[in-house]
Amino acid sequence: MIVRALVLRPILREKIRTILTILGIAVGVAVVVAIQLANQSALRAFRESVDAIAGRANFQIVPDTDTLDERVLLGLHPLWSEGARFAPVIDVEGVIQGAGDRAQGAGAEPPSPAPRALRPAPSSRPIRILAVDLLSDLHFRDYRYARIETGAKNDELGQYFALFGPDALILPAPYARERRLGIGSRVELSILGRRHTFVVRGLLESEGPATAFNGAIGVCDIATAQRAFGLQGKLSRVDLMLPDESLASRIRLPPGTRIERPSRRNERVEKMLRAFRVNLFALAGVALLVGMFLVYNTVLISILRRRKDVGVLKTVGTAPRQIFFAFLAEGLLFGLIGSALGIVLGHLLASGILRTVGRTINALYVTTRPETVTLTPGVIALGVAVGTILSLLSALQPALEASRVRPTAMIRPGLQQRIAHPRRLAVLAVVCFLAGALISRLPAIGGIAVAGYVAVLFVVAGFSLLAPAIVRATSRVFAPVLERAFGIVGRLAAVSLPASLRRTSVASAALSLATGMMIAVALMVGSFRETVRIWVDQTVSSDLWLRPSKGLTNSQVALFRAEVGEAARKLPFVADVDRVRGREMVYGDTIIAVGSADFGVAEKRGLPMVTPRSARTALENARKRNGVVVSESFSLKFGKRVGDTIELAQQRLPITGIYRDYSNDRGVVVMDRPLYVRTFDDDAINTIVVFLKPGITVDQARRMLESDFGPKYNAFVVTNGEVKTEVMRIFDQTFMITYALLGVAIVVAVLGIVNTLAALILERSRELALLRIGGLSTGELRTMIVLESTLLGVASTAAGLVMGYALSWILIYVINKQSFGWTISFYTPVTLIAASLAVTLLSSTLAGLAPARLAQRIDIASAIKSE
Amino acid sequence: MRISLKNVSHDYGPSDESSSVHVLDDVSLDIASGDFAVLMGASGSGKSTLLNLIGAVDRPTSGQVFLGDVETSALDEGKLTQLRRTSMGFIFQFFNLIPTLNVFENVAFPLSLAKRPKREIAERVNEVLGRVGLQHRATHYPNELSGGEMQRVAVGRAVVHRPPLILADEPTGNLDSTNGAKILDLIRELHGSLRPTIVMATHSDVAAGYGDYIVRMLDGRVQR
Repeated sequence: MIVRALVLRPILREKIRTILTILGIAVGVAVVVAIQLANQSALRAFRESVDAIAGRANFQIVPDTDTLDERVLLGLHPLWSEGARFAPVIDVEGVIQGAGDRAQGAGAEPPSPAPRALRPAPSSRPIRILAVDLLSDLHFRDYRYARIETGAKNDELGQYFALFGPDALILPAPYARERRLGIGSRVELSILGRRHTFVVRGLLESEGPATAFNGAIGVCDIATAQRAFGLQGKLSRVDLMLPDESLASRIRLPPGTRIERPSRRNERVEKMLRAFRVNLFALAGVALLVGMFLVYNTVLISILRRRKDVGVLKTVGTAPRQIFFAFLAEGLLFGLIGSALGIVLGHLLASGILRTVGRTINALYVTTRPETVTLTPGVIALGVAVGTILSLLSALQPALEASRVRPTAMIRPGLQQRIAHPRRLAVLAVVCFLAGALISRLPAIGGIAVAGYVAVLFVVAGFSLLAPAIVRATSRVFAPVLERAFGIVGRLAAVSLPASLRRTSVASAALSLATGMMIAVALMVGSFRETVRIWVDQTVSSDLWLRPSKGLTNSQVALFRAEVGEAARKLPFVADVDRVRGREMVYGDTIIAVGSADFGVAEKRGLPMVTPRSARTALENARKRNGVVVSESFSLKFGKRVGDTIELAQQRLPITGIYRDYSNDRGVVVMDRPLYVRTFDDDAINTIVVFLKPGITVDQARRMLESDFGPKYNAFVVTNGEVKTEVMRIFDQTFMITYALLGVAIVVAVLGIVNTLAALILERSRELALLRIGGLSTGELRTMIVLESTLLGVASTAAGLVMGYALSWILIYVINKQSFGWTISFYTPVTLIAASLAVTLLSSTLAGLAPARLAQRIDIASAIKSE
Repeated sequence: MRISLKNVSHDYGPSDESSSVHVLDDVSLDIASGDFAVLMGASGSGKSTLLNLIGAVDRPTSGQVFLGDVETSALDEGKLTQLRRTSMGFIFQFFNLIPTLNVFENVAFPLSLAKRPKREIAERVNEVLGRVGLQHRATHYPNELSGGEMQRVAVGRAVVHRPPLILADEPTGNLDSTNGAKILDLIRELHGSLRPTIVMATHSDVAAGYGDYIVRMLDGRVQR
């Protein structure tokens, strides 16, 4: 009964406000749900691929580096009698040429090499190659053949013989169908720098390993792969099925290998992505926090609007507890409906976010090809929990206030306008700022900048506490200005904001928060972008790059053989070449990047250093002492300094320098090429950096390299400028989602302004009617409301700008540093900041239009009739 | 300002005949320029509605309302606003001051809307505040005034722009008898000096005595 009287009926009566509030919560929940779904799908795609490839294996023997010696199998034979089964596996990424070109029909010959190396990108696509012992592997993985090339023998076993041929490749049937490949089609694979032409001899139904990596996988016999890719005697890992887990401890492992569960790889990848995911979540949280302000304001307005009813109910004997629960029920109702709507919206949004998140994860972390978004009970629960719990929390304070106030005070108008003493609020704000500053100095917990996020919350709380003072000050400053420009209409607009301070300051705090975060992120991203731009300028000093694939991403899957580097060095117009090789490696319980370069060349060309200042000293020492230089993120993440040693591939390597590297946040260890080749027995090259002799132009050199190296080594020539452009493109793509999320927060905040002003209009309808009777025209009324919303926008934007600078400091020097280990120099992207401010101001002005229309529609006669 | 209503009817609620409420039923009435007419009747007799129609706050369901030679029931919203701004002053039972403006600003409101020069506004407002006895309260806000003071401000606001028509709806309904009498004296005095047409709705016999004549209303009709 009480809920019906105080909550349900008013909610139904005030449809616009109800819809705006629900929409505000829905948008906040939608963002959180969408981010969670996108993250989950990206990781699930990766996890499912790992599981599909691992099959029934419960353990794996894996090397610390890329490969292990196949003689490890000999040591496993004694366990066979105890029921242990093992399967050698080569699992590599590579590039498939020619597939995907629709003009190429089934069974057609592969296209002849293009005259220039820069062939259209679609003709070379990444593919995962799983090479196994096709017969014994049936214990581990399910292969259901859709079609097999019929061999000479037609008996049951004989038909499989074709699959063991030296050029036999098995593809998932849907993958082949999409690319118009069939039994007998020829495809060229480029794996570990070697190119080999295969013939499709079998097609797999879409199950088991054929589903991994969205079916972009090729299966072949292990002997075939070892021959074709130069991996004789080597394996990627050994899959094990151990009936008794204790057997695992009895396996004698060769040095540089470990035995672990297949899920460990998932755990490592999840750990590697944790900081990235937490960051995304924190941004989604901003939208939600803004939504919270909206609920708080709505419930507060409900109470203020119904204070007489509350007073009457209390007078006739309603218990404070009942009043409290009635308004809490309102919060709960908004939360439940908003969450439900948010989950649906979030599901729709997730596909779009997944594309961006997937691209970023692919570019910066691991190859994963997520395609579908699935709404799981876990995500639904998260959406409902987040929406309702935050709505309830937001409703708590106003509901408590309503339950505590004496009935007579509720009936007397105007009392609830009062807010806590401004000086008390200011003192509390200062306490919040100090707490934020102190907390921001605490270290990260488990690689997550928890203290940074808490400090952000304190700063936001501080500014929210200052909101009433900011609104009042803005009104005071602008009242004479507006009066001069708009006469009595301007003055009425200016004085009306502090008159409803509790409502207007909450709306202002919400918009300040959204603007502040927008500014902070614009400053952070702008500073980061500028830092990266300068870093790229310093780092990319070469003339040309030779690469075995066109793009920067997935560059590790395509490789040059060592002789390509030698050939490049011998060219008459080349002064120097720097042969760059990079790979991923397990280090501790995470994954790092290990790379090599020609330090002799780097010494001459320079490297942006942290310590020591001289790159020459660091690199020379590294060469002399068989040492390494590490990236700043590595140093911060693992607490390593110059002079410390690190253990890689059973070698203890001294650190002789720390350099700046913004290419990944996992940590990079770089060594001189000869040391790398010795340590990892790997002489392949990812990129050949070419420095030209004087007297030849970049264009001339490029033409010569393309005509010579292009067809011969499948090499792509990229200029210095193209590399820089591509780096910045990847950078911008990575941060696109950041802006999108903050845009959503602004939308929610603007909804808050519309909501607050609409509520104020309803509340002031009598006053507005009187103004109309007194001769205020509808146009003047509209001007007044729009001026009010603009003024609210000015107050919020000004506070947001200051808050933005404070938050950006935490983002840059605490959160970013602790999450990713990057040092960023502060830089203000003036245009971006100006644009963000303009968007907020314009939005707040436009937010006044809808309530202004509402005000124009007020029925004067009815408004003055109701007392 | 002469007021003339011809066969005015007014309904509230849906247009559906059966469920709408007839508040005014075929009312015809003439009030000469400079008259102080009092509308009397019980609650629900249609006094306030009639006042709203005269003040162009509401439109009749049928019939015509003339102020001077202008048929207000045929004017658009913009012209009605202009008419209210220049030619009318309103006094309400619940004072209805603008809470965010102080006494001076409340009284000055009609002049500010008409964009009169500041000096003229100051002169006229001070003069009016002097007449209503509130010069010492000029910078106070409505919530700092007593009921009687608030109504005096409302009277000041209604006359400051010297409108030819003043409409008062139960102006003493929310005041004690002493303050009520003071307000009525003030209205009478202003009528004597400025000679506007005044239409006052009341159900108090004492208040009705201040007018030139009484128009009695019963169930939406004027009693002849």
